[in-house]
Amino acid sequence: MDSALIPEGVKRCSPKVFFFWTLPWIALLLWGAVSAALCLLVGLNQTNMSDYFAFAVWIVVDLAIIALGAGAFFTGFLTYIIGKKELKDIINAAVIIGFICYSGAVAMLGIDIGQPIRGWFIFWHVNVHSMLAEVSFCITCYLGVLAIEYLPIILENREIKKVRTLRLAGENLHGIMAVFAATGAFLSFFHQGSLGGLFGVMYARPFDIRGGFYVWPWTFFLFILSAMAAGPSFTILCTKLTEKIARKHLVPEKAFQTLAKISGSLLCFYVVLKIIDTLVWVFGNVPRAGLSFMDFFKEGPYGVWLLVLEILVFGVVPAIILITPSARKSEGWLITGCLMNCIGIVLNRFTFTIVSLAIPVMPFDKFVSYLPTWQEWGVSVAVIGYGFLLFSLSYRYLPIFPKERELNAATK
Amino acid sequence: MELNRRNFISLMVGGVAGMHITPLPWKLTDDIAIWTQNWPWVPVPPAGAFNSAKSVCTLCPGGCGIEVRKVDGRAVKIEGRTDFPVNPGGICPVGMGGLQLLYNEDIRFTRPMKRVGPRGAGQFADISWKEAVGILSERIGGLRKKGAGEAIAAIDGNSARSATALLVERLLKAVGSPNYLRAPSLDDTYSLANLMMLGTDGPMAYDLENSDFILSFGAGLIEGWGAPGRMINAWSIWRDQETRGKVKVVQVEARASNTASKADQWVAVMPGTEGALALAMAHVIIKEGLYNKEFVGGYTSGFNEWSSFVIRQYSPEQAAAVTSCPAEEIRSLARAFAKSKAPVALCGRGKGTLNGSLYESMCIQSLNALTGGINRIGGVLVQDHLPLASLPDITYDEVSRQGVQKARLDHAGTPKFPYAQSVASLFAKEVREAADSRIDTLLVFGSNPVQTLPDGGLFRKALSKIPFIVSFSSFRDDTSMYADLVLPDHTYLEKMDEVVWPAGLQYPLYSLTRPVVKPLYETKNCGDTIIELARAIGGSVAASFPWKGFEDVVKHRAKGLFDSAKGLTGYKADSPVWKMMQKAEEITPDYKSFDDLWNKLSKGGFWYRPVHNYGRWDSIFKTATGKFEFVSTRLQLAIQGYLRQNQADSALSGLGIGAGAQVAAYPHYEETNAQVDTKVYPITLVPYEMINLASGSVASPPHLNKTIFDNQLLKEDSFAEINPKTASQLGIKEGDPVFIESAAGRIRVRVSIFEGAMPGCVFVPLGFGRIGWDEFTRGKGANPNDIILPRMDPVSGQPVWWKTPVKITKA
Amino acid sequence: MEKKHGPAKGNSYGMVIDLDKCTGCGTCMVACAAENNLAVRPDESDKQRSITWMRLYKVTNGKDFPYTEVSYFPRPCMHCDHHTPCVSVCPATATETDPHTGIVSQIYTRCIGCRYCMAACPYHARTFNWWDGYFPKGKGIERYLSPEVSPRMRGVVEKCTFCHHRLMRAKTQAYTEDRRELEEGEYITACTEACPAQAITFGDLKNPEHKVSRLAKSPYAFRLLERLGTEPKVYYLSTKDWVRKLGDNYLPGEFKPVSTVKAG
Repeated sequence: MDSALIPEGVKRCSPKVFFFWTLPWIALLLWGAVSAALCLLVGLNQTNMSDYFAFAVWIVVDLAIIALGAGAFFTGFLTYIIGKKELKDIINAAVIIGFICYSGAVAMLGIDIGQPIRGWFIFWHVNVHSMLAEVSFCITCYLGVLAIEYLPIILENREIKKVRTLRLAGENLHGIMAVFAATGAFLSFFHQGSLGGLFGVMYARPFDIRGGFYVWPWTFFLFILSAMAAGPSFTILCTKLTEKIARKHLVPEKAFQTLAKISGSLLCFYVVLKIIDTLVWVFGNVPRAGLSFMDFFKEGPYGVWLLVLEILVFGVVPAIILITPSARKSEGWLITGCLMNCIGIVLNRFTFTIVSLAIPVMPFDKFVSYLPTWQEWGVSVAVIGYGFLLFSLSYRYLPIFPKERELNAATK
Repeated sequence: MELNRRNFISLMVGGVAGMHITPLPWKLTDDIAIWTQNWPWVPVPPAGAFNSAKSVCTLCPGGCGIEVRKVDGRAVKIEGRTDFPVNPGGICPVGMGGLQLLYNEDIRFTRPMKRVGPRGAGQFADISWKEAVGILSERIGGLRKKGAGEAIAAIDGNSARSATALLVERLLKAVGSPNYLRAPSLDDTYSLANLMMLGTDGPMAYDLENSDFILSFGAGLIEGWGAPGRMINAWSIWRDQETRGKVKVVQVEARASNTASKADQWVAVMPGTEGALALAMAHVIIKEGLYNKEFVGGYTSGFNEWSSFVIRQYSPEQAAAVTSCPAEEIRSLARAFAKSKAPVALCGRGKGTLNGSLYESMCIQSLNALTGGINRIGGVLVQDHLPLASLPDITYDEVSRQGVQKARLDHAGTPKFPYAQSVASLFAKEVREAADSRIDTLLVFGSNPVQTLPDGGLFRKALSKIPFIVSFSSFRDDTSMYADLVLPDHTYLEKMDEVVWPAGLQYPLYSLTRPVVKPLYETKNCGDTIIELARAIGGSVAASFPWKGFEDVVKHRAKGLFDSAKGLTGYKADSPVWKMMQKAEEITPDYKSFDDLWNKLSKGGFWYRPVHNYGRWDSIFKTATGKFEFVSTRLQLAIQGYLRQNQADSALSGLGIGAGAQVAAYPHYEETNAQVDTKVYPITLVPYEMINLASGSVASPPHLNKTIFDNQLLKEDSFAEINPKTASQLGIKEGDPVFIESAAGRIRVRVSIFEGAMPGCVFVPLGFGRIGWDEFTRGKGANPNDIILPRMDPVSGQPVWWKTPVKITKA
Repeated sequence: MEKKHGPAKGNSYGMVIDLDKCTGCGTCMVACAAENNLAVRPDESDKQRSITWMRLYKVTNGKDFPYTEVSYFPRPCMHCDHHTPCVSVCPATATETDPHTGIVSQIYTRCIGCRYCMAACPYHARTFNWWDGYFPKGKGIERYLSPEVSPRMRGVVEKCTFCHHRLMRAKTQAYTEDRRELEEGEYITACTEACPAQAITFGDLKNPEHKVSRLAKSPYAFRLLERLGTEPKVYYLSTKDWVRKLGDNYLPGEFKPVSTVKAG
């Protein structure tokens, strides 16, 4: 039925199977659509956010997917700027994942702010000192860059390619991709950092406050680093998942190994710095604010275990797995390592958002708890649905894995 | 055109630029942003010319001065007034939120109405004033024709001795009913205690600002007692850098209230045992010879008799067992009190919205007598009532002459309650228990007994036995939900009304409220309604109300001030009255004629007399002995009168006196325990009042809900405070829903664990659990009044509401 | 620990709240709500979403009966002087520190509702409009709204402005009388005016003549979370050590009781 659209020489499932495959994702999207409509039309009272939890699950998801989507800029950087040729086999997937993550995040932010219609005031009345302004600028621009990077992949569709102008446009875009990769890397560097800066500059919250370099708190650099470490892992994970579901090889092992090695090395570097940062914070910043580290966990469900989990279990362990060549060469360990890496970064973003807001600063203030409403979950899971849907469509109709034909020729 | 790289880039740049040049997207983006800044459903308060009007707040008997900021004719803010003697600029949160009582159509009766739904449902239909007055006058006329004037009853919450209260009482008498009831208040207790010991029923005038030792037995000095604006200001003076340490404030209470916490010393005693503490202090003072020998020796009677009783029965050790206050603490407190220059002991529970105990007040007043603090600067001043002109005699006809002679339904004034003016709970009991409806028509004025009477819901239940209930309330309050007919009053911001001697004030003050805004709806000043009603009834009733309108009544009364006393109508903040009163000179009135005085009064003005004749101990006491009576002659007479009728009851149990005839005329401690099994009901329920929660007839303005903590009210649940020890004994945790159950019923609340709550007690705030009003108020929390056992304070007959045995079970 | 406030020229309005005098009555909160058209919802018991500019916190000394004591912290916006935490993070410049007055403003029509400022403020001085104002038709409760302060739309953050409109009011009055400087007490906030205990003193911290600047130098004066370095312009006074100790976080041994403060 849609065979004319499917890339040449590859096998895809029947339209019927594909249709059923998309149903759950469409359902998630619908749930999200209803939630979003409620939040936009009735207001944010549809959520369980509060004056204490001004940032909540949506910001956690935003921060997490932006970090995980960092695979796009970083792989692009490695491919086009550093010249890691083997990554060309995976760059398309990385770009699409990046696009999904960033567009999802921007859409969520649009729902998260109280006055989305005035969202552009950030640009019009910009406060250049605000980390959030920097984030907004960079994310918006980078989303544009990602769209441009995504465009040539779309233009490679069999039917679209038949239109000469479009084909030429695609080829031309491909030709200048290094420019966009460089732009993307630059923008990403700043907004990933600014996302970290977002918290580090809240100097009146002892749970967040960090020292820093010039206007950038250490969290600025740690967020960049952690995103660079986790992004490629997430790209590997997504690709591996696609391979599992499609039941075939799509990317040569070398690409995976390169990415995993870089991801692991960066994670090692990150974990070391993160541990130093945490120690400096625990023994420096925190007591300066009149608190001991354990004071943060006097009330509520959170505890030191959270940091142990984040840094040691989901930081040190995946770092070791990914830098150990024998470990990462085993597919099981590779996936475990990447997964743990991703979980670690999500935990990190969660801690900075939810835990830091949950911990009262005034001695007479009290801990209040927060659980998202179904509307908040709806918007959050819609991003997952959207991601699966867009990636599935791209995989089905676009030649995103250049080596797919080659790798699956033998089995034919 | 060949699409090469060069062309491609120019195409891209051109496209992007082109899109930006089109004005449409920019214009749209801008327009909808502007729309969000001007959403049509966000109200835009109309601008106009600012002006202001001065008046007096009558939401409580405190009568603080207010200044209402207005935009054209619309009131937008209530502020305290600095040119008013009572409160130098400050008012309480309830008064501050007053505009929300004015501008809220859902809580107000906008015109006369009659009930159309079942009672309590709050469904009413509009009728005209003519029809409303017609219905009521016909009903009253009909009863009078049958010679059954006494089947009309009224419950009145207007301040005692105010013009409106007098008109209500007058109406009842004129139609021939003895059943004029008043909602019980602390002023009743004060007056009664003064009558017993000083021989005058004048107001209790505490000269707190000039005192150096304020010993408060439960009065919420900073929680609404007296005039809040005055009291909190006084508190502030005591905490001034210069006065700090020179004035000592001691609070006796079972709970770490704000007053107890902010006082210099908190003395925790079991609820209801304050009298025993006072007696033990008297014991120490007498035994150690610390009392004022001049006063006690020369101007008191019964001292020897009473003191030997106190020495015998109220040693600090004996009292410690009753009050749970350590004997040593009692001793040191007594010494500190007696050795102060100008100590004053004052009684009263919480805000004073509800009555106190007569004997307890007498015990506490005894301390003032022992230290010679009666009519001394910084003590309790003996004051006469305001010299307002009395109203002309009532014209009686045959029906009314006979009617007023008939027995009151509540037995007030009978040998059982010889000095009581009215006993609302007994009235309710009689109505409810009588086989036939003894009361046909109940008129409700300025009160909200369904909500405020601490009688276990008795009054509310009695209403079902009354065929016709008429409300004169401005508000859709809890009692008017049961009304058959409503003749709505203006709110306090729309009418002229009197404030006769703000509660607890040490000098005579009379002030008038005035309409600060034009009445918003078709409501009518209650005084005018009464006059109109009397006219419609006609005959002698009409003849008893010869005035054109309410203002004439007020003006007539005010004339008395001009004729018989010298006062002032102006006030400057830099010379507070309590300072002026330190110099006992006569003053020159600042008005020339009565017209001048009236002119000033009728603009939200006031009249006060900032001088006082201290001492005069030889002439101020109007008792039988002409002295301050430790042993009250009046009480002796009452007991003799009672015993003549009830010879068998020599123990006086019918009077509720447990101590026996020997000591019945003494200030003594009465246990007044409920006749219930304390094994079944081991916990003591203690209702308490909060300054930021209106507990009287009028509900809190919604702004006050912001000040209520979430461990006081959470959604529909109010909280009860329990000591952690008691809570762990009961196995309950913070926030647990529980039932508090007494023999009279049960309420559902949540638990707030509070170290400052006395173990074995449960503290529940008064003011929640309203059934009228609107969504800001209705159905929020529980009303402890619903489960208070209706017991009576001996002699006064007023309810003992401050301790009820209850049990607590998990809900 | 006297800190300099604001720039060399202009005023630096601030507040001193005497906690010994504060009786916890809540009039300040009500006065503030009435003055500034604060929205009231039928249920105000959700304190995490209830709009208050001035909020009262109840504290206890934690001792057992009968040694328990309660006290209150009225908490307006602190109008932080140093690197105002909320101002520096706002992406859309919807909140600013006025260099001439030290007042931290909030522009409701510019606020996009990102709530970053709320996350940055450790005092919870900022509240978000989770709902549209509650003004049902036919109730007529909008009639008490003051035209001096515009009611807020949903989706924006609001906070105490030190009754900035009162400053404008006072200035207008002064200018019509051909004065450029305001007298002490000419401009005070609604809570200051309303407090029946006169616990709140308001004025120019930079003017040594003003009572507020004298009180701020008292050995009993302290500020909330002072060691975070936000430089609040709201000071508190308390002679009670346990109350003073609750004003900031202290490691064991760090807190200096008032007696030693006085001596030192």
